[in-house]
Amino acid sequence: MIKTTVTALLSIGALAMLAVPGLAHHSGAMFEQVKTITIEGVVKEFQFTNPHSWLLVNVTNKDGSVTTWGFEAEGPSTLQRAGIRRSDFMPGTRLKITGHPMRDGSPAAAWVDAIRADGKRFDPREGFKVK
Amino acid sequence: MLRGTTTTVLSIVFLAAAALLPACSRANTPPAGTAGAQAPERTREQMIDLGRQHKTASELYQALREQAKGGQRLTSNNQPDWNGVYTRAPIPGFAFDPAQPPNGLPTAKLTPEFHAKMLKRIADAKQGIEWDPISTCSPPGHPRWLTEPFLREFIVTPDQTWLINEMVNDIRRIYTDGRNHVPEADRYPLYNGDSIGFWDGQKLVIHTNQLQAGIYQRSQPDYTDQVETVEIWQKVDDKALGVDVWVYDPPSLEEPWYAKQSYVKLNDPDKNLRIRYWNCAENQNNSVFQTDKGATEFRGFTFTRKGEKP
Repeated sequence: MIKTTVTALLSIGALAMLAVPGLAHHSGAMFEQVKTITIEGVVKEFQFTNPHSWLLVNVTNKDGSVTTWGFEAEGPSTLQRAGIRRSDFMPGTRLKITGHPMRDGSPAAAWVDAIRADGKRFDPREGFKVK
Repeated sequence: MLRGTTTTVLSIVFLAAAALLPACSRANTPPAGTAGAQAPERTREQMIDLGRQHKTASELYQALREQAKGGQRLTSNNQPDWNGVYTRAPIPGFAFDPAQPPNGLPTAKLTPEFHAKMLKRIADAKQGIEWDPISTCSPPGHPRWLTEPFLREFIVTPDQTWLINEMVNDIRRIYTDGRNHVPEADRYPLYNGDSIGFWDGQKLVIHTNQLQAGIYQRSQPDYTDQVETVEIWQKVDDKALGVDVWVYDPPSLEEPWYAKQSYVKLNDPDKNLRIRYWNCAENQNNSVFQTDKGATEFRGFTFTRKGEKP
């Protein structure tokens, strides 16, 4: 069942975002950087590609129809540095995922955070940190 | 008598060998030149002044070369160890100069025209109007090349050093075999330009010309096709490489722009970090275009589109 929440980021959160680059290949200006959206769904496909990866998530609407949402992140090596592997999101994996939504209302977002049904958390922005 | 003589001769041989050992050891260690490893570190202000003292990048490069007495050729015994997978040391945003204050403007002293251009770019971005020329997999080009946040590898050989950026499979070749730039009449603008260099101890000094116009990064200034750079690359410690860079571009800069770049070695205990091929056409969902207003939009998704009935 779809659960969508749009929230303005707290100022502390917004400042934290500035500390790491946004999407590093194309501008992220098509996304609402001060809003987040959270949905629950099932992984349809994890497109593990350069320069950007896309996690496609099927969300069942109230009327029973299904919308496929796309969550954009960096490419494979940056995700790997964030501890995200292709095998972490096999088709059928249930998750709750958060991102900055598209300004034009398309069912897509810049991926910020994800929590799998088993409780494991994935933050793709960790990929730019040096460990 | 015989025993005494033998002992004396052996002692002389031993002392001579002991005296020679450090010399042999030194032969395997490149001498430090003026810009070499033993020279005291200059302050940022001194580095800025060093750029100001020379009218062109070529003049600065030649001065460094003369100070290093032409530099030293690398051999298999004295090659610096730059192995590993690196990335640019994280900084807030994508500033060309890591010393740019948070929420401040770039540190470059821009000509009025280029200052106004930069301010407009920053103001537009705040309104959601932003287009990055690399969005369709064009190379970032140098000197922007220094700023990208992805993986890096550095391959050192006596005649060439390859500076590799994961983004769009990008390689800068630095020729250190003594060759000069191509004749002026045969030069034409290139993404990464033409780079020649020399080794001053364990420091690689590079001069790059023949570059294309571009931007240093998003919300950063433009540079023209007159841009040239001088860089000094060196290992700071086992985990980091440092690069002093001076950018000369008279149409856009009132004086050379100095910045200190850093690249840090990533922990890769399982050896799983790899530089993979980049191709924007590989995934249709990565296809973007520039709108009439100058903004960035996706061309279309393979998944549900806006307004589409599921």
